[in-house]
Amino acid sequence: MRIGMPHMGNLHITLKTLFERLGVDYVIPPSNSQRTLSLGAKYSPEGLCIPFKLTLGNLIECAAMGADTLLMPGGNGICRLGYYAKVQQQVLREIGYNAEIVELGVSERKLIGFMQMIKRLSNDASWYRLITSFRFALAKLHALDAIERSVQKVRPAEQVKGAAQELYTSAIEAIDGANDYASLKKIKKSYLAQLDAVPRQSRANPLKVRVIGEFYVVLEPFSNLDVEVELGKLGVEVRRTTFISEWTKFSLFLNPLGINEKERYQRAAMPYLKHDVGGEGWESVGEKVLHAGEDYDGIIHLAPFTCMPEIVAQNIMPTTQEDIPVLTILCDEQMGKAGMLTRLEAFVDLLERRRRARLACNNVRRAYGSLLRD
Amino acid sequence: MKIGIPRALLYYQYYPMWKHFFEELGAEVVVSPHTTRVILSSGISRVVADTCLPAKAYMGHVMSLVGKCDCVFIPAIRSLKAKVFNCSKFLGLPDMTRAVVPECPPILSIDVDMNKGEKELWREIDRLGRHFTRNHSKVRQAAMSAWQKHLEYCRLMVEEGLTPPQALERMFGLEAEPEGKGASKEKALPTADASGQAHIAVIGHPYILYDHHVSHRLINWLQQHNIRVHTPEMLAAEAIDSGIGRLVGQSYWTYEYEVVGAGGHYLEHDVDGVIGLVAFGCGPDSLMMDMVRRHSALPGAAAFMNLTLEEHTAEAGIVTRLEAFVDMVRRKKRRKETCA
Repeated sequence: MRIGMPHMGNLHITLKTLFERLGVDYVIPPSNSQRTLSLGAKYSPEGLCIPFKLTLGNLIECAAMGADTLLMPGGNGICRLGYYAKVQQQVLREIGYNAEIVELGVSERKLIGFMQMIKRLSNDASWYRLITSFRFALAKLHALDAIERSVQKVRPAEQVKGAAQELYTSAIEAIDGANDYASLKKIKKSYLAQLDAVPRQSRANPLKVRVIGEFYVVLEPFSNLDVEVELGKLGVEVRRTTFISEWTKFSLFLNPLGINEKERYQRAAMPYLKHDVGGEGWESVGEKVLHAGEDYDGIIHLAPFTCMPEIVAQNIMPTTQEDIPVLTILCDEQMGKAGMLTRLEAFVDLLERRRRARLACNNVRRAYGSLLRD
Repeated sequence: MKIGIPRALLYYQYYPMWKHFFEELGAEVVVSPHTTRVILSSGISRVVADTCLPAKAYMGHVMSLVGKCDCVFIPAIRSLKAKVFNCSKFLGLPDMTRAVVPECPPILSIDVDMNKGEKELWREIDRLGRHFTRNHSKVRQAAMSAWQKHLEYCRLMVEEGLTPPQALERMFGLEAEPEGKGASKEKALPTADASGQAHIAVIGHPYILYDHHVSHRLINWLQQHNIRVHTPEMLAAEAIDSGIGRLVGQSYWTYEYEVVGAGGHYLEHDVDGVIGLVAFGCGPDSLMMDMVRRHSALPGAAAFMNLTLEEHTAEAGIVTRLEAFVDMVRRKKRRKETCA
């Protein structure tokens, strides 16, 4: 049995570790490229979103590499995701691959079910081996995300543009190669230190932007044309809630215990959207409402074209009372980098002007406040 | 109290039930006029561009109700069966309307979610009824008789083969709609030779099929050209279930029956051709209609054509494609008959 799974951010590194330790034959499809996208778009129904098209491209490439069991996230959500595996299975069959797609239920949120499935795939490995491999794979995931968080902070301030990104790339490679906890810890520590030591510009206070939106397009840089890197080049610090390690932490471990990380956002969205509309629609509205009150300058809202939950969110977001500039970027296969850059530049200009105006306003208030009060 | 019901989306499926329920509770029901270009473009002006066509039309209908009623009834239908889900736009419909049509009168809403069980549904109905009366049993009675009305409506369509507008006309008598541009007055020609008449099924959501502005009077066009039109509403539940079973195994979407169920049935029974009507940007349909299309490629299946509608679709383009499709279906039918 040969297993393959579509890309999403750095997920393949975690999976590679997991399956390598369990002795399962795992193929990593070529990283997302125009070829993957064209392949996926060619066989997709036209109205589908970019996550479907890219994952289909990955699955086809996996199948071409000889994988016979393909893992595809699915399950009963309200979004179309629950239907993807069915259609993708048909597409694969039609173009002549016999690979079978196994649905990974992401919405059921059960650690046990997930582990049992891995156990089945790994030819009934012992629970001990399973759990230890799983733990190490998770450790890698956390290390990767910790480094990414630090990269997000360094990017806007670095003197030589691209230095942080370069370190990030080599960190991914190093973590991929780590074989035990000790070396993983060492790698993580050394890269965090290196990132700290990257020479920075003296300008102390970069603009701060929150990236929100649909899970896949936020996490897969190819699908959003590296929006975070581009923002970094423009000198904007990016923060986001969505990380794969956060997702595993909550949906596999904490949600069953009744701890819900999204509740904060859902409660904030309540006055404007009372129901879960599937995907991340509810949370997108909530994040806008919450972050408007925090020290963010703006929000970048990423959504795949024709994404149903995000369309609802997009319609509601401009009307909330809490005000913060939001730039919605729709991701699809027609998107061009130059177009996106132009929009980002305009958005950043707007944020800068807004911040200057606010500072000036505050200065006036500070200087003449006593007069005004009298 | 005057309650406005937008003539869009779920109107075509549940109007008799809603009307009866509210009237039993002593309210008056106002329906927005038929979709026109003005209604559609006023809706389009409010929502983001990639919202689907029916939702755009819906907002236009809500806007046309402003000032004509005391409140608007906008249900949020989450799920009609456990583990079967509905499109996000239906779930967020009341909230979305409130956001994009701020001048909208107060919204009466009901949250239907069968995942939570029947008890919760009754509680929701009670909550809706409380706007009219404090008397629980009266609300229950109204709900029960409204349900009977709904069953009667469904029976009219299944047993007598009526389309929803025809059934509504039969039930309420005043649904006759002003004729739109380009549509000639003549009704379907009396079937000269019923044996040679081509049968074509039109599948899709009722709010696309029967909204004459959105569908460019496609069903009328077919009828005028001596074609017997079949629609999803005319099928009994068993036929639909077996259609769904054949194509996808188990339904996932609330309104899967009118697309996959009907498609699965009609591709193999009763008709010579199937036309799938989809609104551009419809999330569930992009997958469901694709399932039907894939099935239509199997040997023995009826001819299939997929038409995508959006606000830029022109009638001439639709008619050209229809003519070609009908010619093809007729030729195929003739050849089959001569062979036999």
